[in-house]
Amino acid sequence: MKLTFAAPRLLLSVRSLDGVTRAPRERLLEIQNRFREPESLAVTLVKAVDAGAGGVLGSPSPALRTALGELQRVVPIYAVLPALSPQAYRMLDPGVEPLIARARRDAGPAALLRMSLTGLLRFSAFRHGDFAARVPVLLEAGGRLLPRRGLAGVVIAAPLTDAALAGDHRAFFESLPRFVRARFGAAAGFETRNPGQLMQRLREWGVEPDFIVGPVNPRGLGMKPRPAETLAELERGGGGTPFIACELRAGGLCSLEEGARYALDHGVYGLAPDLAEMDEVAVELRSLAAEMGAGGE
Amino acid sequence: MADPPDGPAALPLAIQRVAVVGLGRAGVAHAVMLAHIPGCELVAVADPRAAARAAVRGMGFKVPAFTRVERLLDKVRPDAVVVCAAQHERARVAQLVLEAGIPVLVERPMARTLEEAEALVQLASKRRIPLAVGHPLAFDPVFARVHEVVHEGVLGPVQHARSAMFVSRVFAPRPRRGPGRLDSRRVAGGVVAHLGSDLLFVLVRMLGVPVEVRADWSLLYGSVEDELHGMMTLPDGAEVGFDCSWSVPGYSRASTVIELDGPDGKLLASDEALELDLSRAGAGFPAGYTRLRDADFAAPARFDFGGETLWSHDAAFLDWVAGGPVPPNEAFAALDTHRVMDALYRSAAAGGTTVKVAP
Repeated sequence: MKLTFAAPRLLLSVRSLDGVTRAPRERLLEIQNRFREPESLAVTLVKAVDAGAGGVLGSPSPALRTALGELQRVVPIYAVLPALSPQAYRMLDPGVEPLIARARRDAGPAALLRMSLTGLLRFSAFRHGDFAARVPVLLEAGGRLLPRRGLAGVVIAAPLTDAALAGDHRAFFESLPRFVRARFGAAAGFETRNPGQLMQRLREWGVEPDFIVGPVNPRGLGMKPRPAETLAELERGGGGTPFIACELRAGGLCSLEEGARYALDHGVYGLAPDLAEMDEVAVELRSLAAEMGAGGE
Repeated sequence: MADPPDGPAALPLAIQRVAVVGLGRAGVAHAVMLAHIPGCELVAVADPRAAARAAVRGMGFKVPAFTRVERLLDKVRPDAVVVCAAQHERARVAQLVLEAGIPVLVERPMARTLEEAEALVQLASKRRIPLAVGHPLAFDPVFARVHEVVHEGVLGPVQHARSAMFVSRVFAPRPRRGPGRLDSRRVAGGVVAHLGSDLLFVLVRMLGVPVEVRADWSLLYGSVEDELHGMMTLPDGAEVGFDCSWSVPGYSRASTVIELDGPDGKLLASDEALELDLSRAGAGFPAGYTRLRDADFAAPARFDFGGETLWSHDAAFLDWVAGGPVPPNEAFAALDTHRVMDALYRSAAAGGTTVKVAP
């Protein structure tokens, strides 16, 4: 039986805390400073959910985990895995093995056992380097970072998604959502810097993850391969996969309102504005939620 | 909203079969880009390390993978080769490919020593085979525009220039073991050879080859420099400052800045913006203050794998191979940069004495 999960319509992205949101360096540093204290992040997360966000999108960084730990209530998390450095976003080490080796070094006995078991089930000892067999092992390592409560989705980080997309690795895109749903009991998404290309491939392959996260904005920034091709894919319905737009402000070149309106007018399913794109998180999210008439999931 | 204008190789003259030799981070990034340039087909890869070949196969690339470049050339005979082999191997591999009559795009620095680089450029010139060197910063939309501004003389003769390139890799710029390790017998240098030479290329191309340089460096963690501070003197006496470090905190992404002063205006360029303050209009800019964000510039890349520039860079090389214009990073221009880098290293090694740049 195929497990299915509803995609969120409105997420608060905290990817700027991971240093990977497209924003001026000064703005990223400002945001990272502002939320250095877990308490301030925790308060913002609660306000975001109260304002209508269906959850939080970000890597399970120590800061985010501490903030979640501070809270008495459950905040749905869409965890981007693996947690990669901003440098890896610029240039990934070749393949997935260096990431697994690093994860093994950091993992405790329970995580190591899970990694081994997941690897064994996929004959991964014989498939070294193969994303379809090895990324689940990596996600197991990331599993130890996930919150005990509130995990709503696992999102494959853009460098891995785009590496597999570059290699037309259909089996990766077919198998990963199955693994995530079964193992974590959560929605499976892909983060990408090449939204048009990914939607096109998934449509051609008939592969349907629970959602995709990628840039959509009126300036066309990051809408690879071309803004027109990305919009055409969105108009086709994204191959049946809900599309959640991020980088709505095009690095600050337009307002959030303008970016959100543009994305919604072009058929995106949901929005994921980032901390770096907002000054008053609660006010702006509430306004977006009202405009979408959704109030998140 | 209009699509950005197509960049080079958007409409290539013929299908090109391209191979990548050396499957480290740069090699993989090139493989990804080549797979997304219209008219380009990635036909083979080579690396002596089984794990590196498996990594590329594991991403889904179903191309023949060889352990040695000789076998690749023999079996596949590509139209062009991107050479990203380890620095101590790079010149030998590029030479083999050029001797086979095949155009080469080689990662920077093109060779471990200046002598090897000169021999390589001489070979390519003698055989009339395209040879280009990896300098993607020259294709960054902001810095490409800076080059145009200076080239058109909008600022007047540049009197002062300052530049910097920083990234935070404080404790582990590169592995301590393995083929990527920073061993001075295997690499051309540290932060300048690996990172700063990209900025150096942009400066030398824009402002000309300096006549002399002086530099000092810091070796914090190994046998190659982690920081270098240089001052370069141009033939007209203007001075160009050049700072480079991979050991400063706060730069999770590489950050580049160029500041230029001329009698007719000032310019400040970074990865994020271009600011001009001009006393008269020129190069499409009005008199007065103008600020353009990076996102204001055209973004022609059809695939994003860590940024815009590598796609444009590789596409321009393939365009050249297909009969198009010579790209800015052709080998002679890159050799000038290698000479300046060599002079900076000699000056720093001699304790900061002034060193002439080899003609």
